[in-house]
Parts: sequence; C-alpha cells; structure tokens
Amino acid sequence: MKVGLFVTCLVDLVRPGIGFATIRLLEAAGCEVVVPEGQTCCGQPGYNSGAREASIALARKVLREFRDCDYVVAPSGSCSGQVKVHYVEDLFRDAPDRAEFVALAAKWHELSDFLVNVLKVTTVPACIAGNVTYHDSCAGLRELGVKAQPRALLAMAGASLTEMPDCEKCCGFGGTFSVKLGEISTRMAANKCEGIHASGAGIVAGGDLGCLLNIEGRLRREGDHATRVAHFAELLAGEG
Amino acid sequence: MASPMGSREKILGRIRAAQGRAGAEPTPAELAQVRDQIASRERGPLPSIAAPADPIAHFKAECARLGTTFADVDSMDAVPGEVKRYLDSGALEAAIVAWPAFAGLDWAGAGIACEFRPAHGDDRTGLTGCFCAIVETGTLLLLSAPEEPKVNALLPETHVAVLRRERLVSTMEAAFALLRTERGELPRATYFVSGPSRTADIEQTIVIGAHGPYRVHVVLVP
Amino acid sequence: MEVRSMFFKQSASMKLDDPVLQAAMKRAKGKFVDGRAKAVADVDAWEAIRAHAARLRDRTIANLDAYLVEFERNAVRRGAQVHWADSAEEACAILVKIAADNGVRTVTKSKSMVSEEVNLNERLEAAGVTVVETDLGEYILQLAKEPPSHIVAPAVHKSKEQVADLFVAAHGKPRLTDIPAMTAEARSELRRHFLGADMGISGANFVIAETGTTLTVTNEGNADLVTTIPRIHCVITGIEKVIPTLEDFATLIRLLPRSATGQSIANYLTLTTGVKAPGETDGPEQMHIVLVDAGRTRLVGSDMQEMLRCIRCGACMNHCPVYQNVGGHAYGWVYPGPMGSILTPAYVGLENAGDLPNASTFCGECAVVCPVQIPLPDLMRKLREQQFDRKLRPFGERFGIAAWSFAARRPALYSALTRIAARVASWLGGRDKLIHKLPGLDGWTQGRDVPAPSGKTFRELYRQAKGKR
Repeated sequence: MKVGLFVTCLVDLVRPGIGFATIRLLEAAGCEVVVPEGQTCCGQPGYNSGAREASIALARKVLREFRDCDYVVAPSGSCSGQVKVHYVEDLFRDAPDRAEFVALAAKWHELSDFLVNVLKVTTVPACIAGNVTYHDSCAGLRELGVKAQPRALLAMAGASLTEMPDCEKCCGFGGTFSVKLGEISTRMAANKCEGIHASGAGIVAGGDLGCLLNIEGRLRREGDHATRVAHFAELLAGEG
Repeated sequence: MASPMGSREKILGRIRAAQGRAGAEPTPAELAQVRDQIASRERGPLPSIAAPADPIAHFKAECARLGTTFADVDSMDAVPGEVKRYLDSGALEAAIVAWPAFAGLDWAGAGIACEFRPAHGDDRTGLTGCFCAIVETGTLLLLSAPEEPKVNALLPETHVAVLRRERLVSTMEAAFALLRTERGELPRATYFVSGPSRTADIEQTIVIGAHGPYRVHVVLVP
Repeated sequence: MEVRSMFFKQSASMKLDDPVLQAAMKRAKGKFVDGRAKAVADVDAWEAIRAHAARLRDRTIANLDAYLVEFERNAVRRGAQVHWADSAEEACAILVKIAADNGVRTVTKSKSMVSEEVNLNERLEAAGVTVVETDLGEYILQLAKEPPSHIVAPAVHKSKEQVADLFVAAHGKPRLTDIPAMTAEARSELRRHFLGADMGISGANFVIAETGTTLTVTNEGNADLVTTIPRIHCVITGIEKVIPTLEDFATLIRLLPRSATGQSIANYLTLTTGVKAPGETDGPEQMHIVLVDAGRTRLVGSDMQEMLRCIRCGACMNHCPVYQNVGGHAYGWVYPGPMGSILTPAYVGLENAGDLPNASTFCGECAVVCPVQIPLPDLMRKLREQQFDRKLRPFGERFGIAAWSFAARRPALYSALTRIAARVASWLGGRDKLIHKLPGLDGWTQGRDVPAPSGKTFRELYRQAKGKR
C-alpha cells in the first residue's frame, strides 16, 4: 500500500521533524511511504486571500504529484480540508475533471484519522509521560471531524489527557490573518494560552503547525518557556 | 399598488432580472405556483418535545421555566376565589380589569373589585381568557377582538389568564390549524405570550418586568 | 448610520484595550454561548429543522418577487397600506411624509436594524418629530447618542455604571446602581411616552405572505405597546423578511430565540394583520408597511444570495472569536460580526469595508451555529476574491501572495528559496531558537515570538536521508 506523504509547506520549512515523525508512525503501522519530490503547497494561503487562479494552479499540481499513491496522508487538518472540502466543493465544483479531485479527496487523510480509522492502529511507538492538553485546530475539527482520533492515539501512548477550557476555540492563527490583523490574533492566542495554563498540562499538542507556532510564539513571549508545544506526530513517534 | 417613483416596479424588476426573468410583475403562473406552495401548508420537522408523554405536566414545567405561575381549579365558578387567593399571596390589590366575558362570575363575592373594560395605564391587574395555549412552550395565544382587548394582558403589572383545558394544543402549528378552522383568517393581533416580560439589556442580567407585566398567572379550568 | 468600517483595524485596536468593553464582552459570551448550547440540546431535531429552514428561505428568495406581491395583496386586503422604498432616502421620505400628513409629533419606536441602516431617527427629528426608542437597549443608546453594537442586545457594550450615569442625566432622579431598579425607572419613564405617542414604528422580524401579516419577536413587550396604542402603526422592514406561511414561522421560531439568547421561546410574538376592526378598542386606525430594498436586490442572484436567508439571530457574532474580542462598534456599521462582514460591503461598498471580510480566521464556528446554514466563511472568502480581482488590498499583501504562488509552482526555485529562508530564520533565532522581530511580520512579532525553524527543510533532509540508504 503506497502512502504518499504530503509534508505541508510549514512542516517543510520550520519543523521537518514532524514530517519524519509522520513517516515513522506510518512505517510502524506497516505502510510504504513515498514522498513526491516537487511538492510545495496545497494552495490554501492564496485561496484564503482571494487568489483563486493561483490556488487552482497549485491544486492541479498537487493532483499530478499524488496521482499514483493509494493514499495521501498529511500531518495537517487545514491542508487536508483544503483538498477534501475546498477543492471538491468550490475550486473544481464545475470543472470537467472534478471526478479526479473527488478521487484525490477520497484517498486523502489527515494523519490521526488515517491511523485510527483506516489503519486502525492499536499501538504507537512512543510512551508519553505527563499531562497533555489538546488544541483542536479549526479546519480539522469543523471540516473533517478530527476530534476523537488524536486523543485516542495519545491515550495509546499512555498520555494523561486534561482538556483545557475552550479547547475548540480558534487560537487566532488563520494563516495571513495572524499578520494582517496581528493585534486581534495575538489576543486570541493569549486567550488560548490562558486556557492551556488553566488545564495545568505541561504539554500542549495539536495537529496543525500553524496553530502550534502561534501558540508557542505567544507562550514564549509571555515568559513561559516550560510548556512544551508539539505536534501529536512528534509525541507519538518519539525521538527518531 | 404603485408608488410615486415607480420603486415597486424597480425593485420587482431587479429581482426578476437577477433571476433571469423578464418584466416587473410576477406572471399569473408564477403567482399561482406560489399560492399552491402556500396552500400546501408544509410543516417543518418537529422535535420530540413537541409530543411529550404528559402534556399537562410538560405545559406546567414550561410555565415554571418562564416564570408563569399556575393553578388548577374545578370549575369556572372557582376562578374568582383563586384569583383572590393569588392576589393575596402576592400582597396585590384586590382590584382587576377583566374581559366582559367574565362578567357573570361572582367577583364581589370573592372580595375583588372588578371592572369590565380595556386596561388603562394605571390598572394593576388584568384578567383575560385566551384562544388556546401551546404545550410545547408554555405559551398563551390571545386574539384581538372587540370584547377582548389585548391591553389587559399588556399594560397592567399582573396578567391573570383563564385557560380551558380543552384549549391546550400541542404546538404552534396546531394552534394555527385551530385558528384557521375556527376563525378562518387571522384577526388584527395574534399575540403569543410566554411568561412575564423581561429584559437583559443592562449587563446581560435578566430583569423580570420590562414594559409588559411582571407576573403572569394561569388558571386552568376544566 | 454613518459608515466607519474603513477604520476597523484602528477601532479594533482601541477596543482590545478598553476594559469596560472587554468585561462586557466576557459577560455576554458566557450568557449567549452557553445559553444557546443548552437550548439547542433540548431539540433533538435541531439539524433537521435547520436544513428545512435553509431550504424554505432559499425557496422564498428564488421567488422573492411573487412572495412579496402575494404579501402585498393580503396586507392591502386587510387594510394596510404598502409602500416600496428603493433606497434608504426613499424609506425615510415615505415615513416623514406619513408623519407630516397625519400631524404626528411623537413617535415610539421598537427596535429596527433597517431603521439604523437608513438613519430614520435623524430624518424624523430633522422634520420636527420626536422619536423615543423603547427597547431598553436602544433607549440607553439613544441617551448615549451611540449606535448599537449588537443586533439583538444593542447595548451589550455598556456597563451598569455607564447606564446609571446616562439615566441620572436624562431622568433627573437619584443615581441607581441596582439593575432591577434601573429597569423599573426606565419602564416608568417610557410608559408615558408609550401612552402619548401619535405614531408607532416597528421593524418586522418576518412578514408572512399567506396572510399579509407583519410580526415582532420581543421579550420586553415594547413592540406590542408601540404597535397597539398609537393611532398609526408603521412597519419598516427589508424585502428579504418575507416568508410564505404561518407554518414557516412556527419552524423559524423554534430556531430564532434559541440561537439568539438561548430561550426556548421569546416572551412576545405579535402577529399584526391590518388595522383596527369595527368595534375594537385596541389597535391603530392606519397601518403602513414600508418594504425596503436599499441594496438587497443586488444580493439576489449573486454569489452572496445565501446571506438573504439571515433571520437576524446574532448567533454568528456571539460565537465569533474576533467579535468576542473587539465588540460590535469596531465593525463600523449596523451589522457586526460575520453577518456584518458580508452585509456591510454588500450595502455600503467593498471599497468602504475591505477589512471586514478579512477580519476572520475562517474558524467556521459561525457556520456551525447559523440556524439557516449560511456558509458565512465561504461568503467572506468570495468577498476576498472580489477584493483581489479589484486590487483593493494593499500592495504588500498582493505582492506577497503573488510571490508565494509563483514560487510554489516552481519546485526547484521553491526549494532553493526555502533552504535559504530556513537557514536565515534559524540563524536569527539564536540560542533561544526564538525570533523576536522579523521585518514585514510586525503584525505577528508585536505580540508573539516566532519559533525558529530548525535550519534545514524537510525536502533537503529527506533527499539526504534517501541518498544515504
């Protein structure tokens, strides 16, 4: 079973470790992982900024690059939502080759959903010590229904999960929003950090690097250098 | 009805043009289609709370949630006595304005000064009947009529409503169906009342008794 | 209402630092969000009712002209006069004329957002008519000379201390700080206006085609006093408020109060059909219904058409994390929050309200709670597309997106650029691995650090690792 890894632009640029952790998790579950060479971006930043033509072009590029995979897995709810929801229901809704995008969407999975609902794993490589609280990234939650899956995986790793108040509330990242309306974004991040501190957990996990960078950036600016901020893939795969 | 600047035609024309239809008036066929759709009286989905196992208990529970108080009496003759009891329990003056329909009851005997007229701004308690009541939400339905002034339920601080048990219906849909059957058309005012008036406009703190009554008391008769 | 949406960013900035507003928004969020959740939990058919409501609104809009004509026919048959107002100015002119023709000196008014759109109060006052707002929140704002900041709870931004000060100045009575006492004082002040008004102006939550009925949904009872006591009743409402039948109202009223305030039903649902009947003591002698367009027909048949489903519940703004943090005034016009981000550009022009559709992370919560399933984030995105096509965004933004898209389509170039960026950013992060300031990213770095990249890109590391095997 050939699983294509869509590493995402943020992971590629900022935290490659998440990509390698993803590969470790998939291989531990018995997958053959391929990483299509020229991949760059799913097109969401341009799409959400109103640059429709550019995002259509990038989507066609993604389709070409991942055509030969049986599955495509991404450690990101927002990229996965872009492909599974926005490609099909908006960008290519009236396109002659819509069926190809429907097929791409069907074989595309956000990582935790793939592990839990497709591979049906019951173990994960690492053990997690300490309290973990989970931030539900918006696209994963509301577009794809990712909620129970990462929690189930963290439990398999032995993590003790404490929910923060308003775990489903937007952290304020929103892509370019975080820069365009930075003051509001910062306040939303600060609200999220308040929730994290209220949970008492030493680790905050999530499934989208954009959110995690936003949260970590605010924690550190507030003087909190202790709370660990990690993608669940990093926690579940352990040090590799 | 044409307006001086032809705005009606402009507005209708723009709507039609935006939807690929010519002209500035709906065609007879389009109007007929709309009338057919209206006549179908299609209902939306009903939740389970629209069909409770014990309607009276559900109605009482909804009244309680709204702050409407409730009393059960054996007959219409017992109503004045219950109203006196209610007024005394709240240290309220034993003087009311009521709909003329209740003139035949023994108010004097119960110790209540009762006038049968529309309420004025300084009347403290108003007594009305109601057309029906809705179980799902604890709501009273009052219809305007010459001898049934709505102001009696609205201006005074206290509203007492006499409700006949057989006039309890399950839902608003059922209330509209009953209204159509018994009256044909809606009267000028169709007035659904659910509890005493309230506002939360200052710091989102709920205060009972905004412009309408502070108190609503339902007397259920067989 | 004057348009100030072009100052959204600055206004939002001030609101973030306004302690009274922040306390008010915190209070409101708990009430509205928790209230709605509890109320919705009682309704097991909630999603089915939402879907039905969305369809019935769409069906009505698809035949909007015919439903409006049918409404007009029935309203006129029952004794009302129906007026059509193309523009905001015309809506005001119609009502000013009705007042003048009938020697009206005082008007009591129940809440109408359309009247805010068209500046009705100002126009009536200029014509020598005294207008008294009777919804407690609107009354407070009238005293404060401020616009509403929420469509259901217009004075949500005010503290009780601020209200107490307003009442002292207006009523001349000793200052109160107890909320029930303040409400009682407002009640008695307004009572004499209710009873003495020549004309009552109300909005309409819906108008019903089947019966020619206009209706209000309130908790205070003010709309009923406004529409029953004066000899003339005028309704001002948008053309999109028409619904086909009484049954449709029964469906929508299961959704509206729960979505708005968490109530299973609002205290007073008053359906008004025509004028005082012979022998009746209650009720107006004249009824005028003003159907207002003022930009609504532009939405028909457009990308934004779904916005016309809106039943004005306020759930979207109550649940929007951006609105929760900045309040309604920052949006600069009548409608705040997600629905305001769509209606404001639609009605006052995208060039005047450009930041509004950008004031969203597309978290999607508004779409989840909208009782008529309006895809609010998708509509905001379409407005962003319009801005992009019309080159309305700042050059820096447009260039950034263009450069990104250009590079992302060229893997070799992208790879080279990202390798450089990863190294530079990693170096900037220093030992802390945190970047405190980045040119061009001030919006981020004013309040947050940037966790530094690890220094090499995934693609180059993967290629290296593959090479070793």
